[in-house]
Amino acid sequence: MPRIGDDLQRYLRTEMMPTVWCPGCGHGNIARAIASALEHGGYDPERVVLVGGIGCSGRTPFYFNTNAMHTTHGRALAFATGLKMARPDLKVVVVTGDGDALAIGGNHFIHAARRNLDVAVVLYNNSIYGMTGGQQAPTTPVGARSTTSLSGAIEPAFDAVELAMAAGATYVARTTTFDAQEMPVLIAEAIEHPGFALVEVLTQCPTYYGRLNRLGDAPEMLIWERDLTEPSPDPLTREQMAGGRRTGVFRREVRPEFTRSYAALCERLGAAADA
Amino acid sequence: MRKDRLGVRLSGRGGQGVMLAGAIFATAAMYDGRHVVETPTYGPEARLGATKVEIVLADEEIAFPAVDRADLLLCLSRDAYAKFGRAVAPGALIIVDETAVPLTADLPAGLVRLPLRATARDLGAEMVTNVVALGAICRLSEAVTASSLTAAVAEAVQGKGDLRELNARALAAGMRLGAPAA
Amino acid sequence: MDGMRLVMGNEAVALGALAAGCDFYAGYPITPASEILEGMARLLPPRGGVFLQMEDELGALAAVIGAAWGGARAMTATSGPGFSLMQEHIGYAAITQTPCVVVDVQRGGPSTGLPTLPAQGDAMQARWGTHGDRPAIVLTAASVRGAYEATIQAFTLAEAHRQPVVLLLDAVVAHMREPVDLPPPPAPSQRRPVRSPEPPFGEHPFTPFGAGRPIVVTGLSHDDEGLPRTGSARASERMLRATEARMAADPALAGLDRYRLDDAQVAIVSYGVTARVARAAIDTLRQAGLPVGGLELTVLWPFPEREVADLAARVDAILVPELNLGQMVLPVRAAVAGRCPVTSLGRADGTLFQPDEVAEAVRALPAGTAMGRDQRHA
Repeated sequence: MPRIGDDLQRYLRTEMMPTVWCPGCGHGNIARAIASALEHGGYDPERVVLVGGIGCSGRTPFYFNTNAMHTTHGRALAFATGLKMARPDLKVVVVTGDGDALAIGGNHFIHAARRNLDVAVVLYNNSIYGMTGGQQAPTTPVGARSTTSLSGAIEPAFDAVELAMAAGATYVARTTTFDAQEMPVLIAEAIEHPGFALVEVLTQCPTYYGRLNRLGDAPEMLIWERDLTEPSPDPLTREQMAGGRRTGVFRREVRPEFTRSYAALCERLGAAADA
Repeated sequence: MRKDRLGVRLSGRGGQGVMLAGAIFATAAMYDGRHVVETPTYGPEARLGATKVEIVLADEEIAFPAVDRADLLLCLSRDAYAKFGRAVAPGALIIVDETAVPLTADLPAGLVRLPLRATARDLGAEMVTNVVALGAICRLSEAVTASSLTAAVAEAVQGKGDLRELNARALAAGMRLGAPAA
Repeated sequence: MDGMRLVMGNEAVALGALAAGCDFYAGYPITPASEILEGMARLLPPRGGVFLQMEDELGALAAVIGAAWGGARAMTATSGPGFSLMQEHIGYAAITQTPCVVVDVQRGGPSTGLPTLPAQGDAMQARWGTHGDRPAIVLTAASVRGAYEATIQAFTLAEAHRQPVVLLLDAVVAHMREPVDLPPPPAPSQRRPVRSPEPPFGEHPFTPFGAGRPIVVTGLSHDDEGLPRTGSARASERMLRATEARMAADPALAGLDRYRLDDAQVAIVSYGVTARVARAAIDTLRQAGLPVGGLELTVLWPFPEREVADLAARVDAILVPELNLGQMVLPVRAAVAGRCPVTSLGRADGTLFQPDEVAEAVRALPAGTAMGRDQRHA
């Protein structure tokens, strides 16, 4: 199990800190968990690429001393798909937000999962659009307030875990910033997993989601996260998932991975072994 | 009909092998050492309804690549004749399958009705109607040489053992159909 | 004629890409560009290159850019609607200085428009389609061999200027077959990282990930280290201006063909398939004794301002036929700056100009009428 705070400097670009994130935001905790996971895996920072989209989560790559791509809104997984196909030897970690991955980038999300591309996706879910000032996200729960749903959201929210499972992801987990011990473990597992791996992290946005929904500041929101979710046996059955916001590992399976299937195709068609 | 620039339009129903005929015809012209531009129709338009392929042959480099009014027109189906029959240049040679155009008194002067499909059927495969037609075109128009056309047909069915012989017979039958006053 | 075979324009693009060392293609099906996608699907896997059919065109160009940073020589191809979707990523490639190639086989528009019919409606989109300012390289071609060579050139220029290069074709050139003799393509070779102490952006050569230290790539304005920091807005502007200046000085970007232009009194400025129609019209007019010539653009952008200005000083009138409602006529007019009248001949109904139509338009020019009178008096 990865320990926290051993030698994270190796993976962090401290010259870019302090971060852009608001006081009390959970994103820094997630970034730290990613660094812990990388350290646990012992990856060479030069052979890692962190790919982010647009939004608060998308800023993560700037704080890492690995290769990094800060791409366009919603398309991080499409950039990552090309990169990983061209260079299967690189470890590709995609950081994305709930709006980034599930609204504007929903198409790339389901197709990358369908292909079972070997990337780890860390989905920062704060239930709202933070960077643009607190608008409703596809994850905003019914009844919750945002600047575009001041009377309470009426649209049902996406469940990223269900979506990824249906689309074919082979490693699917959910945790929260409250679960500070569990978070880096799951991310480390996702990075090691040979296929499309999702870790959804419920995180607090005290600035917008917290304030608009009277959830208090970061400490109160962490308690809110704890109360909202229910840790579950590993892995969960379908029945156990239903009806609550469970955390834990929902799927851990091996299915043909895309870069390997493609390499096999090339070999079958007579390509040189090392073209 | 040897012209400095010859506009050819081959037409028929989707599935009659018109696109392949166009490719073979253009290849034959290329073997003859002429300049050639071939513009096939593609996608749904090549499979549904009346479809066409256009070939421009010339002695000089071809600037304008399209065929406006054809000097040489082939119609393998009724629809094709209805659609393309009038877009021909003065003195054009129009070769049609006998089923595409009923025999009436007012057919254009340059129109030749031939039993192209029936000939292919007699050979045991209506699918070679396109090659029968190419044989007839070759003999009637002399737009491409028989030797180049033979080579182009062979090239098109390369590696398809049984089809090779069938297509050679279809080409020969087409040439006989096109022979003057057989 | 050994080795001569009939090759379709779109197939020539695929073969040109391989000849240029392309080892990565991502695309999405769209008429009339699908033969490029299908060609790459057939050609790349047996050669060890990557072929990827993405979920949309946004994803296709994103994958191309991602692959380029992995070291691939990467390309995508599309048509108007897909090209519209790619605009954001063309801007991303521009500010991140990512070499890549985008082929747009134009079709009638706007919107779904005329999927199978020729048009030249994307000349301005190719230049200005993305938001913000950027230097642009946009090539075009009028024949199958031209499409092959322009594709190779697109890769060379993308590399030289670290920018996305657009090749604009039309449905006629894309779907015609002409006899060409093309050499067998070389084996694909991935670009290797260059270990260098120089910063990864600005006036420094492109190197993919793996250059001895981590690289940060961002669509935000950034300094030469790739980081969005104080002063990065100035750094990005400096990079864009320097790139534009380098393009202006690149002889490979002075792409023009002249057709019977030496003694011409009237010039037809055209590109793509319309240049072929113009040639036919010029031949007809010349037979009638009218001194007409053609200036054929093979590089639309950067626009050859000086050449067009020089031309305007020598001729009495310029006609600009295009399969759109008048796009490249605008930079022509700007370059001519009143030195002679410039007339637009546009059509956007999916049909090609007939040579007679262009010849008539020349005759109808005031200068054309005068020219005809001179001829009769001579």
